[in-house]
Amino acid sequence: MAYGFEAKNNSGKVIINDTIENLHFIGKATHASQYTGYTNFPTYSGGNDTLDGNTICYYTITCSGTPVPFIKPTDYSRWTALIKQSVNGTTWTFHVMCSGASTSNMPQIYCFVNADDIAIPSGETHGMIVFKADGSTKTFDSRRQPLAITGGANVLPPVDPTNSSGLPGITNNAAWQASSLDHDFRSGNQYTAYNDSNINTSTTMYACPSTAQAVYSRVVNGYKASSYFFRKIQEHWSTARWWVMYRGAYRLRAGHFDAGWNVYQAGYQYNENYESGGWFSNGSGGYSQGHSPYDDATINRQANAYIIADSSRYD
Amino acid sequence: MSYGLSVFKDDGSLGFSTADVTWQTVAQFTVAANATVSNTYSEAAGMTIIIQRQLVNVPPSAQEDYIPNVTVSNNSQTITVAPQSGLSSSQCIIHVLAQDA
Repeated sequence: MAYGFEAKNNSGKVIINDTIENLHFIGKATHASQYTGYTNFPTYSGGNDTLDGNTICYYTITCSGTPVPFIKPTDYSRWTALIKQSVNGTTWTFHVMCSGASTSNMPQIYCFVNADDIAIPSGETHGMIVFKADGSTKTFDSRRQPLAITGGANVLPPVDPTNSSGLPGITNNAAWQASSLDHDFRSGNQYTAYNDSNINTSTTMYACPSTAQAVYSRVVNGYKASSYFFRKIQEHWSTARWWVMYRGAYRLRAGHFDAGWNVYQAGYQYNENYESGGWFSNGSGGYSQGHSPYDDATINRQANAYIIADSSRYD
Repeated sequence: MSYGLSVFKDDGSLGFSTADVTWQTVAQFTVAANATVSNTYSEAAGMTIIIQRQLVNVPPSAQEDYIPNVTVSNNSQTITVAPQSGLSSSQCIIHVLAQDA
């Protein structure tokens, strides 16, 4: 920088100058609505029926530029995730997922945009502005509160989102009509913990989009062959399938940033059929609750950066 | 704070201090679906880089939506965004952050 303004932190690192863009606080997004779901497998009752549950909250904010939303948990024990961000004109909508079915203590969303995109109310005539070399693009404006990012790193959830050891799979030749689930699809124990001494559970907020997603299922194929009239064989088949879709989710603990998973959708399907003959006629039966969006896989499990800040500075 | 810059709120409480800052935004841009983009930021030379990716306007549940890959090269100055090999990528916000090494 040949001329202009430059500010450094105590370590001598450049924080403000004419090239580094500073984000500024524009307000909290409005909590518009919410819904809850998936505390267990729909239409199924039996072993391992329980799931972690989720509550999806919708927030909106109108602004120029692209906002960076920070999630400020109210209940820090819950996993949270920004699972969708969409825009219509200048109105942005955020879908934030929280673990558990409670609609109390939903998180708050603090939004920040580039200095050049912040709206300055009339009458705000005093302060300090730093421009880029073009003389018109702002990198800093003290009339809105600049974002101070106090920590950050790349994070990655574990491959397996399920609490049971190993991924669920397929069992063939089980008993006909076998439909008891033997896999724990909850995910509260599956996370990677990252140390960060700047995290507390009273004022810390974070920004880290949820990009990782996974679908896993447990399939049990049952079979029975019975004889009738002492010579012929009548075959019976059944299939039970439990599936869960997960989204990457995060949790703040004192001194730790946890990268894990939370259930997003779930379903259960069961069907059976058998050959004609014997005491039975030809037929089938079953029921289904939704279909998994794709075959079992973990996708988008790539390092994504989290950043944290002190929410109390913006209250 | 021995030197630097502080900004105070109307009530006199501290709103911003350069002493607290650990990461800085280098750039934020949106990459269209299936696009390959390469941007160079000379001010990031030699710095440690981390990147956030956020898909935009895509459903989170009904299909496989793939984020693009990002790579950092040229002494941390060049950020390249491209679809994952053999996969289509969705529209994505890229937030590049740097820390003076």
